[in-house]
Amino acid sequence: MKKYICSICGYVYDEAAGIPEEGISPGTKWEELSDDWVCPMCGAPKTVFEEEESDVNAAPEKEVGADRNTEEVRKLSFAEMGALCSNLSKGCEKQYRAEEADLFNRLSEYFGNKSGITEHKGFEDLSELIQQDLNSGYSTANDSALNNGDRGALRALVWGEKVTKILKTVLMRYEKNQNALLEDTNVHVCEICGFVYIGNEAPEVCPVCKVPNMKILRVQRR
Amino acid sequence: MHAVRNVRLCTKDCLCLYVCPTGATDTEDGQIDAEKCISGCRACVDACPSHAISLVPDEYPPQQEKTDAVKKALFALSKSKAEQEKVAAGIADSSDDPIVRQLARAISKSNRVMAEDLLREAGYMLPQSQNVKSFLQSLLDTPQPNDFPIEVVKKLMEKI
Ligand code: SF4
Ligand code: SF4
Ligand SMILES: [Zn+2]
Ligand SMILES: [Zn+2]
Repeated sequence: MKKYICSICGYVYDEAAGIPEEGISPGTKWEELSDDWVCPMCGAPKTVFEEEESDVNAAPEKEVGADRNTEEVRKLSFAEMGALCSNLSKGCEKQYRAEEADLFNRLSEYFGNKSGITEHKGFEDLSELIQQDLNSGYSTANDSALNNGDRGALRALVWGEKVTKILKTVLMRYEKNQNALLEDTNVHVCEICGFVYIGNEAPEVCPVCKVPNMKILRVQRR
Repeated sequence: MHAVRNVRLCTKDCLCLYVCPTGATDTEDGQIDAEKCISGCRACVDACPSHAISLVPDEYPPQQEKTDAVKKALFALSKSKAEQEKVAAGIADSSDDPIVRQLARAISKSNRVMAEDLLREAGYMLPQSQNVKSFLQSLLDTPQPNDFPIEVVKKLMEKI
């Protein structure tokens, strides 16, 4: 009996255990799972799973991006200032500074409104931006974090790259199944790393950042 | 250093009420009274069976420096995530389909969380840091539209 690991989220399929809740009885061989079976945690296809003993370094090769390094540290956009201020608000909350947290939140909302709405775009435009991040953004950033021994930045990049791959999978599944993907189930987002989970109940811990599921919140349908 | 209580962890066992020499732990809003708390005492921290009380410093050490190369790379990604947050929010706003809206809002939220995290690592971790102060100062130094909440920024400069 073997085990197979999802290279995106780390979910382990154990042949000996099967997944009885999904009608996959214990002892079901990897080869016996249908080709359109997907990772129950992140929805990635069967092809991204690796056998447990196999070389963990066998990550898919990355394209190295164009010379984005030359870009100057520029001024932040309104959308970024919105995120910057909501981040600082959370920081104040952790220090039990409720008043400052509220002030930063008000700034964040102001910048969020200022950033305005981008003219109608579809999920395809999102997929394009996601692909750009995966092709060049993360490899550039990972290299520079590694070269500078910045483990904090590496931590954010490891989480973010996983979540970005998961978003790509989610959009691919949505393109294929349309609304049927979500009709009878729920969508959840991890407040800490941004992991998106499609399923009835959020997993006990986030597969990306390992936070307990009280931090993985359901997104309402309305 | 003064004591703060995580109200969500507190099981109201009340040991902290018995050990506090100044009554700082007994308040109507559940939070410990920082004015009454004796710096460094920590009697309630050790007594609490739920690990619900921590000591927080009144001043934090300077934030870790970040190199320009790392900042540049993180800013490039945070810009992309902030853009995706916006695109996804736009998809949600312009659709009447509850499922499309739900999915788009989830993706928007996910991108906000990633952007926040990248910016945190790009030198904006600590609200009291020099970087944050310069950011706030730059908002005051540049001309802003009439609806800009300038008093919010001024208050933050004062308090932080
Ligand atoms: S001792 Fe801890 S659990 Fe008990 S009331 Fe105080 S803070 Fe709450
Ligand atoms: S640290 Fe000491 S003075 Fe401060 S609240 Fe706790 S018991 Fe009271
Ligand atoms: Zn997975
Ligand atoms: Zn997470």
